[in-house]
Amino acid sequence: MATLAPIGLHAVGLLGPGLRDFAQARPALAGREPLIPEAVTIPPSTLLPANERRRTTQTIRLALKVAEEATEGGDRERMRSVFASSSGDMDIIDRICAALTEPEPMLSPTQFHNSVHNAAAGNWSIATANPAPATALSAFDATLAAGLLEAATLQLAEGGEVLLVAYDVPSMDSFREVRPVREPFAVALRLGPCAGARWQLGLDYTDDTPVTPCVSPELEALRQVNPAARVLPLLERLARDAAADVTLPAPLGRRLGIRLEPLARNPEPATPSHG
Amino acid sequence: MQPLAITAHTLTTAAGTGNAANAQALRAGTTGLTPCDLPSVHMDTFIGRVPGVEAIRLDGELAPFQCRNNQLAELGLRQDAFEAAVAAARERYGARRVAVLLGTSTSGIAATEAAYHRRDPDTGVLPPDYDYQHTQNMFSLADYVATRLGLAGPAMVVSTACSSSAKVFADARRMIAAGVCDAALVGGVDSLCGMTLYGFNALQLVAARPCTPLDRNRAGISIGEAAGFFLLEPADAGRSTPRLIGHGESSDAHHMSAPHPDGEGAARAIQEALRQAGRDPATVDYVLMHATATPANDRSEARALTRTLGGGARATGTKGITGHTLGAAGAVGVAQALASMAGGFVPATAGLGEPDPELGLDARDRSESRPVDCVLVNAFGFGGNNCALLLEGSG
Repeated sequence: MATLAPIGLHAVGLLGPGLRDFAQARPALAGREPLIPEAVTIPPSTLLPANERRRTTQTIRLALKVAEEATEGGDRERMRSVFASSSGDMDIIDRICAALTEPEPMLSPTQFHNSVHNAAAGNWSIATANPAPATALSAFDATLAAGLLEAATLQLAEGGEVLLVAYDVPSMDSFREVRPVREPFAVALRLGPCAGARWQLGLDYTDDTPVTPCVSPELEALRQVNPAARVLPLLERLARDAAADVTLPAPLGRRLGIRLEPLARNPEPATPSHG
Repeated sequence: MQPLAITAHTLTTAAGTGNAANAQALRAGTTGLTPCDLPSVHMDTFIGRVPGVEAIRLDGELAPFQCRNNQLAELGLRQDAFEAAVAAARERYGARRVAVLLGTSTSGIAATEAAYHRRDPDTGVLPPDYDYQHTQNMFSLADYVATRLGLAGPAMVVSTACSSSAKVFADARRMIAAGVCDAALVGGVDSLCGMTLYGFNALQLVAARPCTPLDRNRAGISIGEAAGFFLLEPADAGRSTPRLIGHGESSDAHHMSAPHPDGEGAARAIQEALRQAGRDPATVDYVLMHATATPANDRSEARALTRTLGGGARATGTKGITGHTLGAAGAVGVAQALASMAGGFVPATAGLGEPDPELGLDARDRSESRPVDCVLVNAFGFGGNNCALLLEGSG
């Protein structure tokens, strides 16, 4: 067992089926309203210049959408970032591997540079003119926990705010059986010092604790079909605004325990912001 | 920063299997590059292909991991008594207290490329023996190494293109400082595949002849493969091992596949590494550059060095020996820096004909014997992702 000093959670970005953003999703996450399934539409980035925007992919747009939401009103030009994705850009991998079966393979230069696992991280730094360090990582189904640990140790070692973005796109048809990721899902957590944060997270790298499932059966089903959706049990407790313990699956069969505590009174808006 | 001791390491590249062969090639400036003879790639270029990778069999519980990247990892792990050093660390700290933090850019994608050739012609479905999780998925490398060596600490794969296996050194330092582990196995493995060869070719960055970093007539990269592993532990007061004394990371925020023309991001990473170490730039004996041998990359990096270390910095580019090993480049650079400190020489820039005067660096085509105590190692990647590491010898 290894307990880390607490860090602050300042804001959340979210996109998944029936979850258009964190504010809209809060009633469903809190169990006060049913989750209404709907196909995910990913809005284009408002921060990237038109030239760059045209060259982005669904995967990059998915990551940038939640990053923009979580950093609204924040210091986007300075915060460090951690981009966590199990599989990266599956669409590009599919196209490149298909092209490589041709007798004279011709790859698209844009597709190739977007094939790197840090394509979303690179686009985010360009979109926000942010020279701070950015990283990109994977830990298969435990990618969310690995990303959270990386972001927390960054915050504790270097100070300041750290943006964690976890995202995965659905697998292409040829991969439906070998890597069954069924729905697009992305979450962003803006982490930083506890001072001024809405919630405090105390992390504990541990063993043997059962993984916390979702309260809602619909969200539990979603949790299981995308590695980034492993965050849902945490978001359910955030939406309820009560102290809670959540356990995530961590790499190599270990566990990441999270002690969640609200720091400031954080009431629901009387009128939900969605229509 | 609190320095980290590098208590064991091993390197395998096209220039040699294990530390001794690599040190010898580094000192002599012997190239490991050969004409491209990969069965799946038809291209007029030279590659840094590690001999013996295909002969490695992964058996038992490791059999699902069988792919070129993990075969190369296995070949690397067998050298320099590295396994024994890791086993001793596992005994000392416990399996759960040793992290496994590795870098790669393409993991085992060669397995997916091969599977696509065997797709069902009607449905496009991949063959049933294809195992995505244990081959192509980015995490496969760390999963393989941790399973193979019986480690269970925090684990992940960092994949930030060609800075990947440099950044894991910084991650190890932060994780040890946070107390989630006591020691870390770091490094990187990247292996030859169609995607990177044809991809860099599409960007017109691949040289037809063996690459010539820092040369006036440099004409692009030669792609290589490598496996490099390091055991990092908190440094004790005595200096019996080489140490990581500083790391700096930054983003260019400029372009996905082209470096900042003036090396602004690279310069910030270098300054941060020097600041952490509390080192005067004049105490850096030489720079083991990223120096990929594209005209733009070497120019950008040279400007970053002039800005941070002053004009005429002593600098070496080693990709004429190993090729550009992409996600493993940082690990290769660190292992080469350790070899030069242990052997007391500044390595040659292999393939250097006429140093490019525009770069304003002191680069030489021959190794120079002299004590080396402090080396700056650079690794820069697509997405403008920069990392600089500062290393100190065992004194």
